[in-house]
Amino acid sequence: MNAKLRKLILHVSKFVAYVTIFCYSLTMAFGTETSAQQKLLGEISVDLSYQKTSLIDVIKELESKTDFSFVYSKKELAEKNVLVPEGEWKMDVLMYSISSQANVAIRRVNQQISIKPLKPDAKAPSVEEDIRVRVGVSGKVVDENGESIAGVTIVVKGTSTGTISDASGAYSLEVPEENSVLIFSFIGHVTQEISVGGRSVIDVTMVVDVFSLEEVVVTALGVEKESKKLGYAVTSVNTKDLVDNRTTNVMESLEGRVAGLNITPPAAGAGSSMQVRLRGQAAFAGANNAPLFVINGLPIDQGARGTNGRGENRDLGDNLQNINPDDIESMTVLKGATAAAIYGSRAANGAIIITTKSGRKNQGIGVEYSASYSAMEALNFMDELFQTEYGAGDGGLRPQDKGSAASQGHYGWGEKLDGAPTINFDGVSRPYSAYEDRLFDFLRTGSNWTNTIALSGGGDKGSFRASYSDVDAKGITPNNEYKKRIFNVGLNHDITSKLKMQLNVNYANEENINSPQIGTQGPGAVNFFTRMAISNPLESYKQSAVDPVSGSEYRESGFFGTIVNPYYLLEKGMYFNDDRNRLLGTTTLRYQITDWLYAQGRYNYDQSNNFAEWNEVAGIGDADLLNNDGTYGGGYNIRNTMTRDINSDFLIGGNKEFGVFSVDASVGGNTYRTQWQRTEQNARNFTVPELYTLPNGTLRDQGITPYNYSVSRVNSLYGWTEFGYNGMLYVNFTGRNDWFSVLNPENNSKFYPSVSGSFIFSEVLQSQPWLSYGKLRASWAQVGSANGVNPYDGRLTYSILANQFNGQTLAGVSGQAAPNAALQPFTVTEKELGIEMRLFEGKVLVDLGVFEKITTDQILNVQISEASGFAESKQNKASLKNTGFESLLQGSPIEAGNFKWTSSWNNTVLSTEVLDLGGPESLLLIYFNGTGNEFLGELRYTVGMPMNQLYTRSYLRNDNGDVVLNSANGRLLATNSSTPGAENTNGFLPVGSSMPKLTGGWANTFSYKNLTLGVHIDYKFGGTVLSSTWLNTTRQGHSILSLEGREGGLVYPGVINTGTQENPVYVDNNITVPVSDLRAFYSDYRNLQIGDPFTFKTDFVKLRNISLSYNFTSALSKVGGLDFIKGLTMTAAVRNLAILYKDMPGLDPEAIQSSGDFRAGYENSSLPTTRNYTFSLNVKF
Amino acid sequence: MKTIKTYIFLFTAFFLLGSCDKDFVEINTNPYAINEVEPGLLFANSQRLAHIGGWAGEHTIVQHFVNAYNSGATLGFNFNADIDGISNPQWDASYPDALKNLGQAVVLLGEDGAQSNLLSMIRIWKAQIFMGLVDHYGDVPYFNAGKAVTDGIFYPEYDDDAAIYDDLYTEITAALAALNPSGDFVSADLFYGTNGSVPSGDAATQVAKWKKLGNSLLLRLGMRYSKVNASLAESIVSEAVAGGVMTANADNAYLTYDGSLYSNGGNASLRNFSYFNYAAEPLVDQLKSTNDPRGKFIVASYDEPAAITDGVPDTVLANQFGVPVGVLSGTIAADIAMATYRGPKGGGLNYSQMNIYSVASPVAPRVFVTYAQTSLLLAEAAAMGWISGSAQDFYEDGIAADMQWYSQYPNSEVTASEIATYLSQPGVAFDAANALELINTQYWVVNISNGSEAFANFRRSGFPTLSRNDFDDSLLANGGDGFVRRMSYPDRESSANETNYSAAAAAMGGDVLTSRVFWDKP
Repeated sequence: MNAKLRKLILHVSKFVAYVTIFCYSLTMAFGTETSAQQKLLGEISVDLSYQKTSLIDVIKELESKTDFSFVYSKKELAEKNVLVPEGEWKMDVLMYSISSQANVAIRRVNQQISIKPLKPDAKAPSVEEDIRVRVGVSGKVVDENGESIAGVTIVVKGTSTGTISDASGAYSLEVPEENSVLIFSFIGHVTQEISVGGRSVIDVTMVVDVFSLEEVVVTALGVEKESKKLGYAVTSVNTKDLVDNRTTNVMESLEGRVAGLNITPPAAGAGSSMQVRLRGQAAFAGANNAPLFVINGLPIDQGARGTNGRGENRDLGDNLQNINPDDIESMTVLKGATAAAIYGSRAANGAIIITTKSGRKNQGIGVEYSASYSAMEALNFMDELFQTEYGAGDGGLRPQDKGSAASQGHYGWGEKLDGAPTINFDGVSRPYSAYEDRLFDFLRTGSNWTNTIALSGGGDKGSFRASYSDVDAKGITPNNEYKKRIFNVGLNHDITSKLKMQLNVNYANEENINSPQIGTQGPGAVNFFTRMAISNPLESYKQSAVDPVSGSEYRESGFFGTIVNPYYLLEKGMYFNDDRNRLLGTTTLRYQITDWLYAQGRYNYDQSNNFAEWNEVAGIGDADLLNNDGTYGGGYNIRNTMTRDINSDFLIGGNKEFGVFSVDASVGGNTYRTQWQRTEQNARNFTVPELYTLPNGTLRDQGITPYNYSVSRVNSLYGWTEFGYNGMLYVNFTGRNDWFSVLNPENNSKFYPSVSGSFIFSEVLQSQPWLSYGKLRASWAQVGSANGVNPYDGRLTYSILANQFNGQTLAGVSGQAAPNAALQPFTVTEKELGIEMRLFEGKVLVDLGVFEKITTDQILNVQISEASGFAESKQNKASLKNTGFESLLQGSPIEAGNFKWTSSWNNTVLSTEVLDLGGPESLLLIYFNGTGNEFLGELRYTVGMPMNQLYTRSYLRNDNGDVVLNSANGRLLATNSSTPGAENTNGFLPVGSSMPKLTGGWANTFSYKNLTLGVHIDYKFGGTVLSSTWLNTTRQGHSILSLEGREGGLVYPGVINTGTQENPVYVDNNITVPVSDLRAFYSDYRNLQIGDPFTFKTDFVKLRNISLSYNFTSALSKVGGLDFIKGLTMTAAVRNLAILYKDMPGLDPEAIQSSGDFRAGYENSSLPTTRNYTFSLNVKF
Repeated sequence: MKTIKTYIFLFTAFFLLGSCDKDFVEINTNPYAINEVEPGLLFANSQRLAHIGGWAGEHTIVQHFVNAYNSGATLGFNFNADIDGISNPQWDASYPDALKNLGQAVVLLGEDGAQSNLLSMIRIWKAQIFMGLVDHYGDVPYFNAGKAVTDGIFYPEYDDDAAIYDDLYTEITAALAALNPSGDFVSADLFYGTNGSVPSGDAATQVAKWKKLGNSLLLRLGMRYSKVNASLAESIVSEAVAGGVMTANADNAYLTYDGSLYSNGGNASLRNFSYFNYAAEPLVDQLKSTNDPRGKFIVASYDEPAAITDGVPDTVLANQFGVPVGVLSGTIAADIAMATYRGPKGGGLNYSQMNIYSVASPVAPRVFVTYAQTSLLLAEAAAMGWISGSAQDFYEDGIAADMQWYSQYPNSEVTASEIATYLSQPGVAFDAANALELINTQYWVVNISNGSEAFANFRRSGFPTLSRNDFDDSLLANGGDGFVRRMSYPDRESSANETNYSAAAAAMGGDVLTSRVFWDKP
């Protein structure tokens, strides 16, 4: 939980506690230490001082002279008079006397005596005496982290007896009977009822109630607000989920947990990036479509270094890797534009606010240690994809010699597998059998060891927390490792009673070692093993990776280097190391000017240095190891990148109440400076073979742009005002103005407004007992994003060629993009409406919301005629719409004794539409997979259709819908530009959007005493994917689809045209494609781009997580000598336990290649997803 | 909203709006970028970038070269297929590369006229590039091309090919007239500058060379009109000759390569996947039938066609065999008479390939305009009676010049006696009655290093006499004669410049290989 939030809760609860004590002391004999044997009334004497006639006077004197407290109504007894002479009285005698004189009923229960008038006809006297056995109960109240909580109210159910916990969380009180029930309540936490059940020690763990009525959330700029005042959707993340279901990248464990937050982890190795999208995709591919992350007030971009189908095919992680889940105090997801409007141009996709821990005051010194170990095994569904009947070869024949075994090594068009010795590419004969698990035998079990140690403490002036965490992960590909070390310090200090200082520093060092290469072509292991004939065993590739004659890669297929034997690369020592160091630092000074006004200044520093080093090995695809000039092939590259972001801001805020009205207003300003620089150097043509250093290269150059540099600045002023009425109606206005250095000076200022409101309708419906709380919220906001407007975009620059041409320096105009000085940030306008209700005494929470988000003036890299001199130009064009519905239903279906089941179900329905592409074009091609090294389909934006529309050609069909085949040879035909609907797309037809329409998750927690079981199911429906693995295994004869026609040839079901083109006559196809032509037949799928058999839905339902944790704290406290351990929790968890449903056979629909948006909807030989088994331990001293 | 705006106004006034974008112009100027450049360097780069044809493109069309394999990615002119990637190099090397740099160089030169010689060279060179574009595609963007930054024209119209030629004439002649021997010396010039292929050190020498280059281009331009407008051809050719065309190989406009920092890219690629790449039968037959001493430097037979960089090739002319045009590797045995099929060899076919140690070497020069070409064009003009002088002399000078030029290729030298012998060979020896065929057949051999010019001249002259590629009849459709008459526009244009593309395609009679450019009359 957020430190400030925690502090606030403490302040409030202390106040509540004092009030409680005060109230108790007024109404009851609180804290009377009469634990001794209680006496009967007849055993007690009282000396009355003088004769009285007023019953109330008598009672008052008795109250002062005995330990009894009296309960009565002044009004009822005001007229009652009795005659009670002075002198010593036995209490029983006195009571009987009073009862008969005043016609009242008297009842004594322990130390309390209640007096009520009797009906006039009732028979007096009436005196009852009930002395109950008092049981002393004591214990300690702690929070989920095992830290004690002061100020928890403990009341005996059905009585007004109670107490509050002290500074160390301890409490003690007496209960009237063994079966009394204690109610523990604390602001912001779930109220618990615990039966005493004869126990004398009851330790209680208070659980944070994320959705409590008085919930305080951290909003933009770190300002804490009561949730009821917010006119937009906000979700606080339960940080326990992050720790229990630990993943290498902290965001991965949030998948399926927050409505509107769509997280997709690419299967790209240890330490890879995440695809994080809030409420759809706000902008087109190429923009940063991830939300803004704000860590202790420091805004950072996600910075995904994923593969994007354009450039490196290794995923090098993202900035979220720099955060250790153990350090997170609180995390809030600000979904909509309104929530984020105050962040201006960087938060068009919403924002996620993270606060790290910085200790608590008056806590003494504490040490916390946590360790976790995960083992990761690749999930294998390949039996749904691979055929295991036919082996290597072509035309229905197996290879007869070494040469043909090599040239046909990637074809599965051979004979039926019979186990007979058959020659392989390396000349060795091996049994002609199916070796379908080669990929999984090549992969290994991955692991992740994480250790975190934290030291925290606090005095009356401040607090601190320092932690060190170490992650040592091994990916499932043999040499992939990921190491991370994070050092985090948080410090709070009250310089004076009004001036407070806070400091947070996070230093992270990461090493990404050999992140796997993924993608259809290139040196990826997945690609290799899914495309080699199934009859070649793994050993053949391992034993014969290197050709003993040439020293190059043993030629094992007809691909000649476009697909590479991974053992060759391992043997030749190919590597790629990426080492990053990042420092995030925040200093905050806050001055409380008066009790309602404060001023705050903050300075954020974020610097990262990234050193990447990699080699390229020679001899791939049987190429020469030697160059023409006699030097050795291969390459060596280094790249150094530095990024520095500096944010400084100030904020002046105040709030005041005027009767039923309240005003909360703030103004602030920010200056954001960012600088980026990169140098590269590479070496080639080596003197010494396989020695990868710069001096060894005879050819050295510095990359395309030897020194990259950019610096830009955004200055901003902002403010907001919130008006409240009577605690039930709130309206909030925000405004922000940004000035951009990257824009044309004539027009570099942008204003972003928002307005939101909330209405607590339960305040006017108090008569409805089922409704504890109800809020309506509505908001409208505009934010922009300068993402895509890069420094220097508006200026034409030149490049000097790295090498002189015959001694002559040459220059060129840089870049393919025509500079556009008029470029502007794009705008996101968002409306949302929501309702939040707590029903049945707050046991059920319902939160529903709808939103519409329209992005206008998209920055599009418009393709222009190259005859203009340039290939593209960035323009403000096009708009798109995301609309959605979000729901959250939460409650406790079963609460019985020590058993409790809480359940939380969230859903998001998202629909997107491309509204306009800014001109006559109604189609925009984003990625054409059909040429180059990729194989199927296209990704387009099409007006009137959802975003990320996939296109492929289809079978040519006649008006009856029959598949029309080539009447000459019985082979396939594809749709073409005369196919209706495909006139402008060359026969390509839309087959669906990659974006899921429904995403959601169902999280359940079952707890029994100290045992907690978490079960999380999540799902996505409605997305479409094109599978290159299915296509390539089919055209190469490896998939089950390619089995048709193996014996006697294939007569494809369909029709042929025996008439003319104008007057077609269709008859059933009777042409047999001979076995010798099967390869050609199935290759037509690729050549003609027929996508039908390779188009799937990405639908899935996964049993995402099961975690079981046990809190040993209370058990340990009973063991002598171990009480120095303040908390001990152990957790076992399994992630990706099972896929309960999926549409795409053979592959995990989530196994996408990229965290970016250019390759949306393209399955492309990414690594298999893994099932992770995690054991973790958390100890506090 | 009014509240908010008032609000913002109040505190922006307080913090002074003016200071919110101070220094932004300075911040948004990259101190490490090259924001200014000497225009001569852009011009020199555009010399390097200009296109002269490629093996899979122009050389395949004119049957110098064959790729007998159809692996999908290697589908192309040998199978009469219109493949985008093979038709585009001329376009791609011109508009977004060479022309972009030339256009910006003109912008930088401004209107002060300080570097008038550089401007004239740019105009001539630009004309050369546009001539190539028209010759390849017909109508192309011209008057509004290259104006994305200066005028914001992103989607230029296509101009009529004849109109472009008219303007090219104007440009060349105007630039020639403006060349000034006492004007600026363009040191960066890759042809005749300080580090040029034919270096010079002063404006007078350089301008003299450029005048010859410009007039030789003018001659080339004039000859293009030979069928469509003979009188115009005659007048332009006469004007070029009067202005002074190239007279020696030392006048040639070409680039040399060191083979490491820079190499002749088209040739360098022949070494990769070499089993795809063969010499075509018509070329080999021409070389063999005339005992051409250049033959051994053009074609060669390798021990392993799939690995031509291994071993020493056999260059004996008698042992060379070209792959018949329009055959497919898989069915070659069935397509031609079994008796003539030479069968497979190693990883490829038992046929000759290009000589990668000479003409097809990565260090072979790239030639744009040569004395040999010029002399052969003059021979034709003389034969037509458009200029004075002996057609035979021009013809023989042209052949001799080309043979002497072979010393520029590595490991190559044609001796004077070989030249003399060759000139008397049957099929070579000048015959006035058959002058056009002889001259243009030689032009075809000369342009083994300039596919673009071979392609244009074959269409213009109709020589050498080649048989159509009968792989299929697709080039007989749309009134085609079985030969590729032009290349198709880049597919990209049909989406990126849709309206103008469609208009141009219609004007050309369809964006197909069988449409003809304006000077190409059947």
